[in-house]
Amino acid sequence: MSGGNYKSVFDIIGPVMVGPSSSHTAGAVAIGQAAHKIFGEKLKKVTIDYYESFAKTHQGHGTDYAIIAGVLGMETDDLRVPRAVEIAQKQGIEVIFNEHEGTSPINHPNTAIITLENDTKKIKVSGCSIGGGTIEIRDLEVEGCHFTPLGPLPIMLCWTGGNDPVDIKAHLSHDNIQIRKESALSQAGGRYIHELDLDRMPHPKVLDQIKAVSSGLICL
Amino acid sequence: MLEQEIQYSRSSRTEVWNKMKRQLDVMKAAAKRGTTGDGVFSPTGLTGGEAAKMRKYRESGQGLTDETVLYAIENSLATNEVNAAMGLICATPTAGSSGTIPGVLFALEKKRALTEDQMIAFLFCASAFGMVTANNAMIAGATGGCQAEVGSASGMAAAAAVEICGGTPLQAAEGFAMALSNLLGLVCDPVAGLVEIPCVKRNVVGSVNALAAADMALAGLENKIPADEVILAMKRIGKRLPAQLRETGLGGLAATPTGTKMKMKIFGQELDLNI
Repeated sequence: MSGGNYKSVFDIIGPVMVGPSSSHTAGAVAIGQAAHKIFGEKLKKVTIDYYESFAKTHQGHGTDYAIIAGVLGMETDDLRVPRAVEIAQKQGIEVIFNEHEGTSPINHPNTAIITLENDTKKIKVSGCSIGGGTIEIRDLEVEGCHFTPLGPLPIMLCWTGGNDPVDIKAHLSHDNIQIRKESALSQAGGRYIHELDLDRMPHPKVLDQIKAVSSGLICL
Repeated sequence: MLEQEIQYSRSSRTEVWNKMKRQLDVMKAAAKRGTTGDGVFSPTGLTGGEAAKMRKYRESGQGLTDETVLYAIENSLATNEVNAAMGLICATPTAGSSGTIPGVLFALEKKRALTEDQMIAFLFCASAFGMVTANNAMIAGATGGCQAEVGSASGMAAAAAVEICGGTPLQAAEGFAMALSNLLGLVCDPVAGLVEIPCVKRNVVGSVNALAAADMALAGLENKIPADEVILAMKRIGKRLPAQLRETGLGGLAATPTGTKMKMKIFGQELDLNI
């Protein structure tokens, strides 16, 4: 019973959520939350690009409000989820939905690509909802860097001054966390963004230790 | 399963147990909401109020089957009606199949006077079978059709029913295998792409099929094809299903003249989803 995307019993008996679809509603909230965590700033514009099943049925499944709820940082069981689009617009956020014909660029029928931006920052998160509210993130564009994670969460992004995050890896290894894939991309000013695909969520204490040796940390 | 979750989540036994209790409480509240008074209705008007009708029918004593089956039907309908009405539910394993397990669980609660701890244990057992299915095949209608949702849920419910009623682990696996085998090939063809028609009533077949499979397993019947192989058969079938029959709302019942008319009616005009 090892391996696979579904790791917790509460991925199977759960999530507790506002209906009507775990993949199109709860999963959409989760993809939105991933984008929310990465962006982390005041938002001006949200663009959602849908493919395949998401493109055909997003209206009926409440995918629109679900994904925006996630982008605003709400949880799947938040009763404000059905009003999220309205709430975002009231906050002055521009919200755009596009339906695309053809196949998903990340090869899954339930695909949504979220672009979040304000005057100074833009990120792009390509996620798919694989069922029961569980998601994968298969493509990320953050601060001009392009990553292609394996998909399953947890995915860790950290910012450091070097291209080999020795300290970070030592902390993870100490916590018995396996790194399934890693990549590092350089930015201006000698900074590096590291993307690490992990087999499970690090202990909160370990996350604190990693925060102490990096200039930024996001764990999806 | 409990041990695995304790290790994975780094939580205590009590924390994990209590979290499952919360899932159970959400299931109870949804079933109650759907069967109380005249029930709940979805914003589209396609579904709603039928769990309450079933409750009245059961109470009339005119039912063809016994109280346990009628109660399973009623609770299964109720949960999915609440889901369609954008109410709070617990996905088991998905929202579209959220009625199957509560239907069986609450029917057995009545029939066997289950304690709360037994009901929580039922959910842990169901989750073990669900996790194997999810990780080795699929549980999303968009990837595997309804067999992956209601089929998986029905297998999970059957296995847990066998266990809670004193069956052996092997009998639980047989119950799972029989329930899922019976629903192989079930397509996902929701009218207008909404989790309403036929989803609400398909959960009933998931529940009733689970009770039948559990009874067969407890009677000592075998599926002949082992559970693991049934899961892989489901995966292969799911991969061969055309996209029209995988939650796109383009085939099956969704493509009937009446299904198409419903879609036109709903999306031809402004749909108020802000409830």
